[in-house]
Amino acid sequence: MGMQSHVPVYSHPRAVAVARLDAVSYWYPGGREPVLKDISLRVRRGEFLGLVGPTGAGKTTLCLALMGIVPQFYGGRFFGRATVAGLDTLEHPISALAKHVGIVFEDPETQLTATSIENEIAFALENLKVPREEIIARIPRVLEAVRLEGTEKKHPHELSGGQKQRLAIAAALALQPDLLILDEPTSQLDPLGSQEVFATVRELNEALGVTIVMASHAAEEMAEFTDRVALLAQGRLVKTGAPGEMYGDVEFLHEHALRPPQVAETFYMINNYGVGVAQIPVRLDAGIAQLSALKNEHAVVIASATGLPTGRESTTPPLLSVQNLHHRYGDGAHALRGVSLEVREGEYVLIIGQNGAGKSTLVKHFLKLLEPTEGKVLVSGTDTRELTVSGLARRIGYVAQNPDNQIFNTTVGDEVAFALKNLGHSAEEVEARTVESLEAMGLLEVRERHPLALPKGDRARVVIAAILAMKPEIIIFDEPTTGQDYRGAKYILEISRKLHEMGKTVIVITHHLYLMPDYAERVIVMGKGTKLLDAPIRQAFHDIDLLASTYLAPPQAVFLAQSLREDDLGEACLLLTPKEVAAHVAGKPLGCIA
Amino acid sequence: MAFIPSGEERDVRRVKRVAVDGAPLSYIVTLAAVATALAIVPLSVVVGSGKSFPLSQGVYPLVGWLLGPVAGALANGVGALIGVFVAPHTTTLPLATVLGAAVGGLAAGVMRGSGKRRWWWQPLALFFAALYGIYAGQALIRNGVAWYAVLLGSLIDWSALLLFVMPTRVWFAQWMLSTDPKSVALGLFCGTWTIAGLTHLTASSVIYIFSNWPNEVWLAMAPLAPLEHVIRAAVGAIIGVGVILGLRATGLVKPEHANF
Repeated sequence: MGMQSHVPVYSHPRAVAVARLDAVSYWYPGGREPVLKDISLRVRRGEFLGLVGPTGAGKTTLCLALMGIVPQFYGGRFFGRATVAGLDTLEHPISALAKHVGIVFEDPETQLTATSIENEIAFALENLKVPREEIIARIPRVLEAVRLEGTEKKHPHELSGGQKQRLAIAAALALQPDLLILDEPTSQLDPLGSQEVFATVRELNEALGVTIVMASHAAEEMAEFTDRVALLAQGRLVKTGAPGEMYGDVEFLHEHALRPPQVAETFYMINNYGVGVAQIPVRLDAGIAQLSALKNEHAVVIASATGLPTGRESTTPPLLSVQNLHHRYGDGAHALRGVSLEVREGEYVLIIGQNGAGKSTLVKHFLKLLEPTEGKVLVSGTDTRELTVSGLARRIGYVAQNPDNQIFNTTVGDEVAFALKNLGHSAEEVEARTVESLEAMGLLEVRERHPLALPKGDRARVVIAAILAMKPEIIIFDEPTTGQDYRGAKYILEISRKLHEMGKTVIVITHHLYLMPDYAERVIVMGKGTKLLDAPIRQAFHDIDLLASTYLAPPQAVFLAQSLREDDLGEACLLLTPKEVAAHVAGKPLGCIA
Repeated sequence: MAFIPSGEERDVRRVKRVAVDGAPLSYIVTLAAVATALAIVPLSVVVGSGKSFPLSQGVYPLVGWLLGPVAGALANGVGALIGVFVAPHTTTLPLATVLGAAVGGLAAGVMRGSGKRRWWWQPLALFFAALYGIYAGQALIRNGVAWYAVLLGSLIDWSALLLFVMPTRVWFAQWMLSTDPKSVALGLFCGTWTIAGLTHLTASSVIYIFSNWPNEVWLAMAPLAPLEHVIRAAVGAIIGVGVILGLRATGLVKPEHANF
């Protein structure tokens, strides 16, 4: 690694705390409840500390408290003491603390302000009056550290999501901080971007000894990369421990509405089946090894019965038909290359692929927000060229990634009624459909509230209710789980299930494959503008090589299932979930799809 | 049971935010940008000049209510100044455009002042009365325009001045504080009529020094000016209701002298 020779290596005894929180409690101005409650925590120099907890647990506030932004910027009431590099965060200005703590936030788009990458890195250094020569010397070093060397003159917007986040890390790293804080740095990124960021952070930690504090919902990666995990719940520090100890205690995680890594969940279930598991593994390689050992020790019989759900075979005429679709953007980018597919009424279809694979471009053709360069899109047999955007909007509902972009009325009721009024329905019809839709989404009680005053998950429900009121045949969810914690993501997906059960055709675009086995029946894998695969979910998720070609990885349960296949089964057994894998290992199969 | 922290309470010293008269600089920059953007959109023609009134005239008062008098005047002034360069088609006379916008923000911000600021409206009222005297006097005396033409052609100006001097000034501002969106909308509509009228008066007084439009133009303005002024007030009310209710709901820091 070149970075070792250029970037200063942080070599300090681990026992030394780089940051300390002693009985820290904090109220935001006007807040009725404290957001942090008696938090005492040491961040040891050189460690990679993971912060986990459901949304609202206080993770972001804790990160901001380590930076002095809480309470110096927000105000409020602060109890206890927080120090970073020996500096009390209330007695030293944020500018002084910024020399010791770098912070990277969730959304890379909101962190980048300069017009070139080198200016972006130089910005904070200039503000701290670092001499020009030193700034010029640091820029290539930190770019090398995050593997962005040679991009100095590029505009940040030319970078991919993962690269932007790495640039934000580089900008923080240029300050040569004692502590680097990352607050949900991968939640807005596709799997490739997320991998890039985790790999970069791990390298910074292991090769350079940078102390890391990272808040994240990515259980599998946190279990893999962190040295220690701290769990926050309702503002309290509930427990700290090694990843094995924290993520191995599955019941404890469930109690706190957290998702364990699938490998841990699988072994927890195996244990519950009465097959003794000495220690629950939290990392995939350990899980695969332990599975093999377990079978040898206990002579576990892996059954190969049939009977797992495969998804429905529909014989109805296609609701959506895409025929040899090509799309070229104005700049010449060939975003779709001869895509053909059909979606039938009542299907639940998952569309996956890396960023730039053509997923959104494809979906925009369904809504006529884009028109084919070649080929055609038919909705119920009619070419979309003959249909209007407004006409299609009545039939196809679209829930964008950020619900706030679709909200513009001042009450929840008005938001739901807005489109109905514009479609010329009578006042009685508008009222009836609004009430019906609000009831279906459980929003009737907040009808008079401002939509933006609701939590993010509820705001998504407002958008869904508005779409539902138009009684569409198809509902498209574009990255509905991005930025949501496990509970929030499941909540939205349960709504999609409910809509599916109501007979709606549901199309979901997501990178969170581990969430989807309980919902989707069919998967369309996109890559570089082409349809790589269109198959039932079991088949698609087990095509690991094909998923890897579009920078996706299936859930850990699939890897575990495949390890079973290699070791024991001798036939394809397309298990998808921890529950299915555990049942098979315990000799009580739920079924097996060969 | 209420939580009792075990740590000692600390004295929290807030970082000095860059603010102008209690309004964060970021808000001023944002609203100046809004004013500039809306300056590009033509609202109505300016008789005899080949120019247009910009849509931004509908939001100059709102900026004053959102930021307070000083910051509102600054945001409007900066926004209008940039608008002069990026939207020359909506600029009849740069000085008049910028002055009118800034004065509009200032006048809006003083409508419901408290403490020492309770009296800030009075010198402004004198200023506007003097401007109207110069404007109408010039038409009557120097250009020989009929009195009824001046009265009809400047209806939006003198009505605004009257509404600003009378208790209506405070009523409109108080309606904007209501929790009822209809009252907020009414307050914004009437308030925008008042303040946009004073902006118009300020700009027109300056422009008229150079333009000296005749009796015929005054008469032509008589039906047109109130109509386009209703549109300004409606723009202020429509945009304002959404912005104010949204700001209240999102709980963003409220500038010290804001009226919402």
